[in-house]
Amino acid sequence: MSADVELSDVSVTFGSFYAAKNVNVKVNGGEFFSFLGPSGCGKTTLLRAISGFQEPSEGKVLIDNKDMSGIGPNKRPTALIFQNLALFPLMSVSENIAFSLEVRGVSKEERKKRADELLELIALEGQGDKKVHQLSGGQKQRVAIARALAVEPKVLLLDEPLSALDLKLRQRMRTELREIQKRVNITFIYITHDQGEALTMSDRIAVMNEGELEQIGKCDEVYNNPLTPFVATFVGENNPLYGKVTGIEGDKAKIETADGQYLATMNESKKLNIGDESIAFVRPESLFIPRDGDNFDNKINVNIESFEFEGNLKNFYASLKSGAKIKFSVPNAIDTSFITSGSSIVLGFESSKSVILPKASLAID
Amino acid sequence: MMGIYIFIFFAYLFGPLIIMSITAFNSAEFPSITPWECFSFRWFNEGKIAYDGQHLAGLLSDWRLHDGIISSLIIGAGVVTLSVPIGMAAAIVLTQVRSQLRDIYYSISIMPVLFPGVIIGISTVVLWDRIAGLGGEGFIADIGRNGIFLTILAQTCFISTYCFLIFVARLQRFDQTQEEAALDLGASQTQVFFKILVPYLSPAIASAAVIAFLFSFENYNTTVFSILSDQTLTTVIASKVRLGISPALSALALTIIALTIIAAVTYEVLRRRTEKRYAESQEKFVKEKAADNRINKKYKAGFKIPKGITAILLIVVFATYGATQIVKNDLYGQSCIDAADKEKKSKFLEQLQTLESNELTDEELSGGSLGGNQDYGDIFGDPSLFQDFGGFD
Repeated sequence: MSADVELSDVSVTFGSFYAAKNVNVKVNGGEFFSFLGPSGCGKTTLLRAISGFQEPSEGKVLIDNKDMSGIGPNKRPTALIFQNLALFPLMSVSENIAFSLEVRGVSKEERKKRADELLELIALEGQGDKKVHQLSGGQKQRVAIARALAVEPKVLLLDEPLSALDLKLRQRMRTELREIQKRVNITFIYITHDQGEALTMSDRIAVMNEGELEQIGKCDEVYNNPLTPFVATFVGENNPLYGKVTGIEGDKAKIETADGQYLATMNESKKLNIGDESIAFVRPESLFIPRDGDNFDNKINVNIESFEFEGNLKNFYASLKSGAKIKFSVPNAIDTSFITSGSSIVLGFESSKSVILPKASLAID
Repeated sequence: MMGIYIFIFFAYLFGPLIIMSITAFNSAEFPSITPWECFSFRWFNEGKIAYDGQHLAGLLSDWRLHDGIISSLIIGAGVVTLSVPIGMAAAIVLTQVRSQLRDIYYSISIMPVLFPGVIIGISTVVLWDRIAGLGGEGFIADIGRNGIFLTILAQTCFISTYCFLIFVARLQRFDQTQEEAALDLGASQTQVFFKILVPYLSPAIASAAVIAFLFSFENYNTTVFSILSDQTLTTVIASKVRLGISPALSALALTIIALTIIAAVTYEVLRRRTEKRYAESQEKFVKEKAADNRINKKYKAGFKIPKGITAILLIVVFATYGATQIVKNDLYGQSCIDAADKEKKSKFLEQLQTLESNELTDEELSGGSLGGNQDYGDIFGDPSLFQDFGGFD
């Protein structure tokens, strides 16, 4: 039922512009896989290459180990859910869902039966005769999914389908998508620029930047052990601390910055040498205000500049002596009345919660 | 102030049409209102034999007009079947063309509208005359000199461009991902065309067909060349006008106006009905979704006075007044027509007699045939013409 999808050295060029460059990914059958990246990073191009709307300039797309070159989108075992859903406005909900069966010449009774089954799957029983414009945003979303599932595709491709929904609905649809995926047990390839979406739903994610793959891995792996400064800053938030490596102890490296020395963990595949220009990253939630008895590997003196209330978290923006900015978050439950703008405090973080990587450009520059 | 301006505007727009429509009911030989003869439907029926013996055909008895209408309908149908697909195909191509080529393609596509119709007509005839001349006798020669065939081709040249513009406007709002979605769901290109694009374009197809037909039906300047020896409605009317206008033409115009108004009103009524149905389904949907009772309260349907009531009342008042005046002055029916004819006959005889006596006096005055003014007699033609006529019945 589900199929492997393999991109082998896929490049897509438009003139001299590389929309995707030498992409190698293997998505396992039945997996929920996400491509995550900023807009214009080439993730939609990859999706179009998988679905057949875009032939790769170089390389091959393999689905179920079969080369898909020259096979049109209507002949591939994939179904695509468009960003704007692209439901057919002149057809009823049932007709939309059964469209793929209609074009395959399936009989009317059979189509109705299948449409009813799928309506049940998406919890819209008895609403098949409605027109598309009579549905709410979330219902349309589900109809688009049902329509794509009607062909029984081996791979379902989703192009940021949740981006048009409001926050609450988006959160609910995340869970629903995940549940539908488990129920139908087919390969889902999901495209998003929203790291929250990618992290909550996916089994594995691939982070892309400017047409190239930066990192592929499980969600926690990518979040905790980013391979590049881009991934470190694009997936979740991270505070960069620029400096030079001054010492190495096992898998830890010591970095000398304008504001002092810190100890951070090196990535296995990104070994550093003494004297290398590098960046240590520490996440806002990994910075703590030490209480009595706490002993952190690293300490930073900061000057509080401003404060922002996010609901579950309180975010503080502070500056270091050198002028570098740093952000740290505290759960709402913790009393922070003693932190006021202009006050100087000491923050601490563990070397195991900080990664050090060779210097390269960040996601936010 | 605004009201006066609007009144003047509409008077300018519809005044001639209204005057002409009224002349259709006057029994006089020339379309007129002021010397009102009798109220009559004769110009819609058989017309009349004039007092000087000329047969003035009415709508029902004018076979040339009937032939013209039939040709016009055939040509209209032909133009619709050709222009709509051509216009649609051209518009679809436009959506596929990118870059600067698109502007060039668009400019070339709309060019036929800018050509004078006369040139399109003449060039079609010239081209097909050459083509017909190539093959000697046979099918090619026959259709190359067939006025109806040539007119369909000539009119399609520029009418397909109007269709093109209608389709372009509709396609601009088309969401092309729908095509991609259909392809992705396994539809072939043909299925995408018939199941997605054509249903989306169907309103444009309908309006393109109507517009193509109307343009074809009323076209004169292209048709007059390409129709060759045949006749369409417009060329028949034109040739009639050359001989002198008849109230039968007013009757025809009134019939066409009436048909147009009926069609427009029917369309509007149907459109409002579907719109109402749509609004009702929407309302039902909202009510189903809303648990709030305030939205669910019933609206009582009351009798509403239509907005056009002033215009309707005005027309009714004028029509009633006109009708009573006609009846009161005995300007209606056979007796009136008989009386009018009788008067005209006697006047005509009088004129004839005056003419004859004038001629005598003239000859006397000018001293016989020696220094006579020959031209004078020519103005009235040969006097024996009237002698052969054989009198009135």
